[in-house]
Amino acid sequence: MTSHLGLLVIFSAFVSTAFAVLMRDNPREQVTFGAKLFGMFVVSAVALGWLLYPLPL
Amino acid sequence: MPAPSGRGAASTTNPYVICAVAWAVPGAGHLWLGRHQKGLILLVLLPLMFAFGLWIEGRIFPFQIAEPLVALAAVADVGIGLPYFLAKLAGVGAGQVIAITYEYGNAYVIVAGLLNMLTVLDAFDIAMGRK
Repeated sequence: MTSHLGLLVIFSAFVSTAFAVLMRDNPREQVTFGAKLFGMFVVSAVALGWLLYPLPL
Repeated sequence: MPAPSGRGAASTTNPYVICAVAWAVPGAGHLWLGRHQKGLILLVLLPLMFAFGLWIEGRIFPFQIAEPLVALAAVADVGIGLPYFLAKLAGVGAGQVIAITYEYGNAYVIVAGLLNMLTVLDAFDIAMGRK
């Protein structure tokens, strides 16, 4: 398990699940909120990665 | 409309005792307060995240006051409670700085501790009748 994307996805799953469980009481709302949060984590990380791509190291 | 049972009412137990239990065993505070679904998920999720971080060569940071960022990471690590001490006893968490997953592992271990601190605050709010 050394893939950056794989570790990012697993990390996002852990954190979004924890936030969904803590911030919503209804199980259906937890699933919806957690899925949204997970999607935002992954999409924003990939988008930021591409935005930073042209910058020199 | 009356609040659903177990919600909105302050616990009769001292909230600080609940916080201590919630810190020691992730999710235990919620289980104590009758939030079984939340408690069970947190009981599995947070130690699993901590263990996963150690498995991918994350490090349990020492309390080095001379290195403020290392000391802060150590505080975050302790946030996970009992799993931290079990890992120390088992001799894991040395971290492999040359491992490609070292920094990722650190992020998992640190964030697991911080999430448990958030869980403790949530349990405190429930115990005080705020949620």
